Amino acid sequence: MTRRHPVVGAVAAVALTFLLGPILLVVGVAFTAGDTIEFPPRGLSLRWFAQALSYGPFLEALRTSLLVAVAGTVLALALGLPVALSLNRGGARPRGAIGTLFTLPVVVPELVLGYALFQTLMVTFRVSAFGALLAGHTVLLLPYAVRVTGASLAQADRSLEEAARGLGAGGWATFTRVTLPVIGPGVAAASVLSLVTSFNNVPLSLLLNGPGTTTLPVAMLHHVEFAFDPLVAAVCTLLLVLAVVVMLVTERLAGFTDVLARQEADRWRP
Amino acid sequence: MWRRRTTGLLLAPGLAVLALVFLYPVAVTLVAAPAGVDDGGLADRLGALAADDHIWRAAARTVRVAALVTGLCLLLGLPVGFLISRGPPRRRAVLLALAVFPLLLSTVVRTYSWLVILGRTGLLSRALTGLGLAERPTQLLYTETAVVVGLTQLFTPLVIITAYGAFAHVHPDLEAAARGLGASAGSAFRRVALPLALPGVLVGATLVFAGAVTAFTTPLLLGGTRTPTLATLLYDYANVTVDWSSAAAVALLMTVIVLAAGALAARAPAKAAPS
Repeated sequence: MTRRHPVVGAVAAVALTFLLGPILLVVGVAFTAGDTIEFPPRGLSLRWFAQALSYGPFLEALRTSLLVAVAGTVLALALGLPVALSLNRGGARPRGAIGTLFTLPVVVPELVLGYALFQTLMVTFRVSAFGALLAGHTVLLLPYAVRVTGASLAQADRSLEEAARGLGAGGWATFTRVTLPVIGPGVAAASVLSLVTSFNNVPLSLLLNGPGTTTLPVAMLHHVEFAFDPLVAAVCTLLLVLAVVVMLVTERLAGFTDVLARQEADRWRP
Repeated sequence: MWRRRTTGLLLAPGLAVLALVFLYPVAVTLVAAPAGVDDGGLADRLGALAADDHIWRAAARTVRVAALVTGLCLLLGLPVGFLISRGPPRRRAVLLALAVFPLLLSTVVRTYSWLVILGRTGLLSRALTGLGLAERPTQLLYTETAVVVGLTQLFTPLVIITAYGAFAHVHPDLEAAARGLGASAGSAFRRVALPLALPGVLVGATLVFAGAVTAFTTPLLLGGTRTPTLATLLYDYANVTVDWSSAAAVALLMTVIVLAAGALAARAPAKAAPS
């Protein structure tokens, strides 16, 4: 076939090394027997893993992260799927304007959203920090829920639903027994995308601080700011393993790479 | 088949939450003063902006860093995106997965690695002393360069993804035709594939620029307090010094920059793309 310009290949190799190399370096640091962040590691040991897995603040933060991610995802889907249905099946108008409205939460800077929620929800309306955090994550995940399930709905074959209706199924039965199974992969992809986005978010829980709102990334951030030990490197390594597992599992489930790539590329598009 | 009322009922809860938890709070914080908050509204905000040199220096640094990061991301990401789009399916899947993978990790994880490399006892510092290029360990962290490097690593995947999508829509036969007419591989890329993919590439560039303007974790960890950007400044005003009108002023400025970049990019492809 056509020969490639050698420069393209060389730059690509450099780029991928630059992208992934530093992340792999952290794995090496995590296995150190020494007390500082250092590469190559000073002797090998698992002590920092043992310490990370029994370090109270991180475990507490992990619980908060998981709770917020799961609850936020469920809420975003519960609100977003009906919106996608009304746009793709119910003929809600003006479609473009409504679609744009639901992309706005990912266009406005997350720090600004966090600060706005802090002022309005926590200061003015006296909502608890955890309530504000959950509300913030829900609204941040809403665009993904609407768009990913919407894309599935747009692709699904409508004649299946029409056949069910023609055979006498009501609206609800058609939805639960035909539409939902058909768009299942889309709902799964939206869920994983939401869980990952929420789990990794820093600005919201940093600005909405209060009892029980420190999420894992924020706890790691605080630790890094004040301590120079490899504890966080061990956590990073564990999260890296988790991400690999998530990627391998979801790739089989829903072609996740494509979904993630498309969502990141189109995040500003209604 | 669908009754209007059903459509309305499906739409209403989502719209209500969006209005209550997003539109209202953001609007109030950016242009008015929320009830019970000691802050005089838009006039105060603009006053804080006009009076505060600190904010303008941070804004200039933020835009400068974001522009540099956008350029570097394009430089690194475009070739990878092109390579992925022209490869056989199997290589395409593997390379795309490698490029997308970092997006699954928190910015904290991705930025942490630069502490290992750029810190005083870091890899680079020890390499410099080891090679005799530096006499004692050098601190490479807490500089604007460190922030640029960290952000470039953070956002290159976005360019790879958008460039891949854009190049996938340019038929390889067009390049083959250019080659057949005597163009080198390099000029077939520069003069045929790249111009046709430009609108998609521009989308990627906008996302990187906006992301770099609003990025928080990376400037905090790699820039420290000596090189504040708008994002770290906003956090500082909101959480440390508790100066709410300055925080709102910074939030306003940051939002305006991001929306302006988005609007600019939305208009540009119409002109750039040949009809």
